[in-house]
Amino acid sequence: MVGEIIMKKYILNCVFAAIILFAASCKPEIETPAGTTAGQANFSKYISVGNSLTAGFADGGLYLEGQKVAYPNLIASKMATVGGGSFTSPFFTDAQANGSGYLTLSALVNGAPTLTNATNNLAYRDATHLTKYTGEVQNLGIPGMRVDLAFAAPYGAANMYMERLLTDAQVGTTTYFQFIQGRNHTFFSLWLGNNDALGYATNGGVTTDATNVLTDKSTFSLLYSNLVNALTANGQKGVVGTIPDVTAVPYFNTVTVSALLAAAKAINPAAVAVFIQTGSGTVRAATSEDLIRLPFQSAGLFGTGTIPYGLDPRNPIANNWVLDKDEIIRVKDYVNSYNSTIKSLASSKGLAVADTYTYLNTVKTGIAIQGININSAFITGGAFSLDGVHLTPRGNAVIANVFIDAINSKYGSTIPTIDITQYRGVKFPDK
Amino acid sequence: MKKLLFCVLLSAPFWVFGQGFQVNLQGQKQIGMAGAGSALALDEASVFFNPGAVSFLEKNSISAGVNPLLFKSAFKQNGSNITEHVKNKIAPPFEAYAVWGPKSNKWKLGLGVYTPFGGLVDWGDEWSGRYALTSLNLKAIYFQPTLSVKITDGIGIGAGFVYNHGDVNLQRALPVNYPDGRSGHATLEGTGSGYGWNAGLYVKTLSNITFAIVHKSKVVTKLNDGSATFDVPESLRSSFPAGNTFNAELPLPSTTTLGIGIPLSKSTSLAFDANWVQWRVYEELAFDYAINTPVLADTRSARNYRDGSSFKLGVNHQASEKLALRAGIGYAFSPVQDGYVTPEAPDADRYILSAGIGYAPTSRFEVNASFFFEDVKSRKQKNIETGLDGTFKTLVYAPGISLTYKW
Repeated sequence: MVGEIIMKKYILNCVFAAIILFAASCKPEIETPAGTTAGQANFSKYISVGNSLTAGFADGGLYLEGQKVAYPNLIASKMATVGGGSFTSPFFTDAQANGSGYLTLSALVNGAPTLTNATNNLAYRDATHLTKYTGEVQNLGIPGMRVDLAFAAPYGAANMYMERLLTDAQVGTTTYFQFIQGRNHTFFSLWLGNNDALGYATNGGVTTDATNVLTDKSTFSLLYSNLVNALTANGQKGVVGTIPDVTAVPYFNTVTVSALLAAAKAINPAAVAVFIQTGSGTVRAATSEDLIRLPFQSAGLFGTGTIPYGLDPRNPIANNWVLDKDEIIRVKDYVNSYNSTIKSLASSKGLAVADTYTYLNTVKTGIAIQGININSAFITGGAFSLDGVHLTPRGNAVIANVFIDAINSKYGSTIPTIDITQYRGVKFPDK
Repeated sequence: MKKLLFCVLLSAPFWVFGQGFQVNLQGQKQIGMAGAGSALALDEASVFFNPGAVSFLEKNSISAGVNPLLFKSAFKQNGSNITEHVKNKIAPPFEAYAVWGPKSNKWKLGLGVYTPFGGLVDWGDEWSGRYALTSLNLKAIYFQPTLSVKITDGIGIGAGFVYNHGDVNLQRALPVNYPDGRSGHATLEGTGSGYGWNAGLYVKTLSNITFAIVHKSKVVTKLNDGSATFDVPESLRSSFPAGNTFNAELPLPSTTTLGIGIPLSKSTSLAFDANWVQWRVYEELAFDYAINTPVLADTRSARNYRDGSSFKLGVNHQASEKLALRAGIGYAFSPVQDGYVTPEAPDADRYILSAGIGYAPTSRFEVNASFFFEDVKSRKQKNIETGLDGTFKTLVYAPGISLTYKW
């Protein structure tokens, strides 16, 4: 009898112990071997220098949602865990959240996109000027900024995104090169030079003004080193980005010669070729080596007129719509030269290199990241926004990780990477 | 000219069966011994563990038990500082057995209903692997009528027919965004059935050391006309048609077991089981959708499993006429090769620890309880197909209880 009571007590204790063990069942833990460190870098005051990509420009415009997910802002948010300070950006207000206005995808008809401009809650103070922004700024990205124009004071008046950030006295007198200095930064990113080649390319290889000239290689080298010298004047560390191959973006890979010809043949089976006017002025049949600009899709020109536009050598697609194969070779040559300048300067200054050139070439063929297939297809590729050049929030997150990986591997820091799945691709209409 | 071809938005893979889907909870006494016991004629759970041993059971009996299972998995994306955890969901593996035969006859009939495969994993809709998987609820319920015959005083054979009722609900996010920014969502849901068998040989030597050879066949479970529901923005509806269905085949692998039972004393016996799980049948997973579109193609995903194995050692100690104590340890080798690990079954080699207790207040009633713990090793992986890149770590806790009536 006594034995039985002891036995029952024993069983109860066992059951009780099992329940406690179960309730206390710890969650599994995963250690991070590298720990948390800034390594040899100091992230307490980070500034980002660059163009539209740095500013968070997307969908053909600069607007608040894009600004918030610009790659420098994403990087800065993660730097906070390794000694990073606050990071200020010239955000539009909520009331003017749509900033310059931007493209939205309003319909898909048989897979063909209809793009519409956002026209409310804009931030214009008059027809060509944006509401001024005053106050500390660490995201110094200016849409349209080029290496050569960073040294041209009048450009500060001509570019509304830069004009917005300048005091009245500075407008037209302060260069971007001056504007980025004197900010007591401890770390910087510099991703500039894209437009020195892209401006020419997106104008079909036609130069009409300072924004679409192909910057001379030695000029680029000299001015880029001036920028790097200024940013490292006090021994600051930083990261520079290489310039992507301009043909890696959907802007040049969506309206293809074969698609145009197929469309023409569907209407007139007699169509034999698409005719273009090249940069050298000759007219010839286009091949798959010639690239047509994205906006041609909605220009309403193709096949129009008594002599059908683009389908007859007497009425070819105009030079400015086409980046022909010789122009492509030329642009690629310049981009390669710019990139070797960037890499050799980075090497001599001990800076990290975010090789976006190589990375975006990988994206062009398609990669799977964290369960998402990403490629450089227009709209569906997920990385590029509706203008075919700039990044979606998801694309910004992907590029931010390229920068973070470069910084961590150069300086031994452990800036956490960004979870790209938290950022969207193109928004599709729900109707 | 304006026609834009939509490239494949869906990355192909949908699910994987791993060791993680093998539920080693089929008899309360054996669970207490880490799942060993094919060479012991312990109780009616021999219907599962070794039909050959059923004819050696002294009494007729019926039992039912349940093992609420908590699968606690964590994930940390490569380079991230955030560890994500599955939600606390309790899966209910259960087992019920009945064994009957006329006393003094050489044969017995048995029936087993149990859940040898299953999984309940819910990572939530916001976690960083949600485009690979958000949740999986998989149940395979085996029904197994069995006949066991004692050929001699030392040899028993037995075999059972297996019918499987399978039930699956699998969900993931789709990387297409609504105007408000949220993602699309896919749900695949279906039931299926499959058939197989289970046979065993039980040998009791003169020294009372016992041996077992058991084979459980593979059960190819066919899912027909499961529902494939895609929540996507309406402008993409033509690419993801409503009311779509799918067919798929789930190969649940065969297992061959060699077991030894060693009586250490009158009241204590050891059991050792070596299991060889022929996962290599699982070469690919194919989904055949009733309606295909340029975006929604049938998928064939390579799985390339190798065979898995496990080794389990358990001890049963009859402390008194009424009380039994049990413990066990084990180790299992994962069948999932590097590059194929997924969040459905974040599989890796694992340690098994268990303890159990049995109490028989009368000669007819018995209560058995167990606690089963698995420590699945941490595994850093980048999935070849999805690119999901990070470290998984899983702990499994399963307390259980069963009631038995004997006559």
